[in-house]
Amino acid sequence: MGVLVTTVLPPPPFDPELAAALDVIRQQLPSALTAEMIQPMREGSVMADLTDEQLARDGAFTVDRRLVPGPAGDPDIELLILTPAGAGTALPGLYHTHGGGMVVGNNRSGVDALQDWATEVPAVIVSVEYRLAPEHPHPAPVEDCYAGLVWTAAHAGELGIDPAQLVIAGASAGGGLAAAVALMARDRGGPTLAGQMLLCPMIDDRNDTPSAVQMAGLGVWDRTANDTGWTALLGDARGGPDVSPYAAPARATDLSGLPPAFIDVGSAETFRDEDVAYAGRIWQAGGRAELHVWPGGFHGFDGLAPQAAISQEARAARLRWLKRLLGA
Amino acid sequence: MKDLAVRLAALDPDAGAALRVIAYFDRLVEERAGLRAIVRGAAVLAGCPARLRDDERHVSVRVEPDGSSTTAGEAPDEAWMSAPIDAAATLTLERPGTPGEIEAMVLERAAAAARTVLDRTRGHASRTDPASAELVVDREAPESLRLRAAARLGFQPTDCVRAVALDNGTPRLLHAESAPDVAGRAGIGPAVTVKDLPDSWDAARIALRFTAEGDERDPGRRIVHADQLGGLVLLASAILPGAEPHPDLRALERAAAAAPWMLSTLDAVAEAASLRAAASALRVHHSTLQDRLAHSHPLLGWDPRDPQGRLRLQVALAMRRLHRNPPL
Repeated sequence: MGVLVTTVLPPPPFDPELAAALDVIRQQLPSALTAEMIQPMREGSVMADLTDEQLARDGAFTVDRRLVPGPAGDPDIELLILTPAGAGTALPGLYHTHGGGMVVGNNRSGVDALQDWATEVPAVIVSVEYRLAPEHPHPAPVEDCYAGLVWTAAHAGELGIDPAQLVIAGASAGGGLAAAVALMARDRGGPTLAGQMLLCPMIDDRNDTPSAVQMAGLGVWDRTANDTGWTALLGDARGGPDVSPYAAPARATDLSGLPPAFIDVGSAETFRDEDVAYAGRIWQAGGRAELHVWPGGFHGFDGLAPQAAISQEARAARLRWLKRLLGA
Repeated sequence: MKDLAVRLAALDPDAGAALRVIAYFDRLVEERAGLRAIVRGAAVLAGCPARLRDDERHVSVRVEPDGSSTTAGEAPDEAWMSAPIDAAATLTLERPGTPGEIEAMVLERAAAAARTVLDRTRGHASRTDPASAELVVDREAPESLRLRAAARLGFQPTDCVRAVALDNGTPRLLHAESAPDVAGRAGIGPAVTVKDLPDSWDAARIALRFTAEGDERDPGRRIVHADQLGGLVLLASAILPGAEPHPDLRALERAAAAAPWMLSTLDAVAEAASLRAAASALRVHHSTLQDRLAHSHPLLGWDPRDPQGRLRLQVALAMRRLHRNPPL
């Protein structure tokens, strides 16, 4: 897009409850993330893992792990597989690409949100462990995610998944990876996806939209943090002319022929404008998309301040879309 | 990432946790969040259901620790921790026993935040509500009561406000930038924050003593700002009921009795930048004014046209007003 911002107008205000929560969150999670902060963050308590016991939710889910082939010539990848207890066969499948700015997280990160959906709409969750930047720059992360999807689709029956009801979902960097995997599946004639859930997705390495500029230094995952994430993934190529749409889906020139998309984002976050534009371009290409822009939401507000009224609304909207999509 | 609910529920009773509780509710108040958000904050921070009940306003809110609102729940238990909001409203945590440090802090701050909302939304108090205004400027009243009364009138503690003394002796409050909207005479105090309004009120009452009716018998300004009085305020404490009129004031009264135009003419000369401007304000010819002042000179005993005489005239006029307007 490369929208030129000549005048930076004041940012939209945060939702009142989110503003109060942000004061608390920011003591533990700064707006900006720099390269030196990646390793401490990986080791820090903010990213504390869910344990197997937490994942099992008192026996509501069985927890399984499978090592499956990675991209050709690359190491195997681990899939975390959560199956609702007592489930029948041919359930919908939720294929999860976790968030963490391309630089942190693992296949347990954020999977609890999908478990909440699967409690309402019984579904098998498959969460992929992909290699992280900067140790593994593009295309390692997205190729790992794609390889995991290909394996999941090929083994759907064995996993108890109806291959016609396979939905890819991810938040933040995971939303960007989900969008990229959907593009790859289309372009490579790969698995057919029933839908793509792109939750506040990170999709544009250029990092120069009005919202990116407007929110610099504010909220969660600001322009500096975004630069750190994209630079880890792309190095010097970041923001240049030759970035692949499989790294940054906003770069795709053709958004036709994609599975129905659910896109949400906060009005007070870096990704607002790139995500709104992505939905717009899907419609312009004749596609299906549902877009929610939550007023006064910072990046990841629904997970960081789950009790806020607007967070409850945002989560409910996702579940309603999923139910409509799957006819559940 | 661990969510806010988890982080806040696990607050240790250390100073940091208490500060976070204070910051959370302060920000809610600052952002003018509603009652539900405040009760939600109490439930999330305390990690148990919270209720607000206001019998007078027929308000009943109950929130689970995950932030979801629910209907009444079980009957209230006497042993639950609670804090009064005002005479009719109570905030309760559904947890029996004596509140620990964090619980006590949550109760106190949530109740205070709820009080500001209830006061703000009470609706039938107007900015001219004399009883509330009297309370705000009453130095003897506890500060908490004064702040609440100010909130009822629509003023936040940090607002910049002036006390206004009306000629019937009642106070009124005015935002620092607003123009006074009063029918009669008024003294305007300096702009202060709400807690210092008793000081502004003292100054406003002194300013009121320097006002005039603005007619022929009592010419002068109907509205006087304390800020503009300078050293003249010292005169006010010297001229109290029973004080002997200064000889200059006797001379001024003598002159006033000699001609109906005398006082307004002398007031115009005292106020205007030049004799020409005074003539213009009086709508008389310059030579007419010269004739009148020549006539006044022997009656006053000094010449109001020379600088020293003009100062004596100004002081005499001020003394006249102070005698006419005894302290409230």
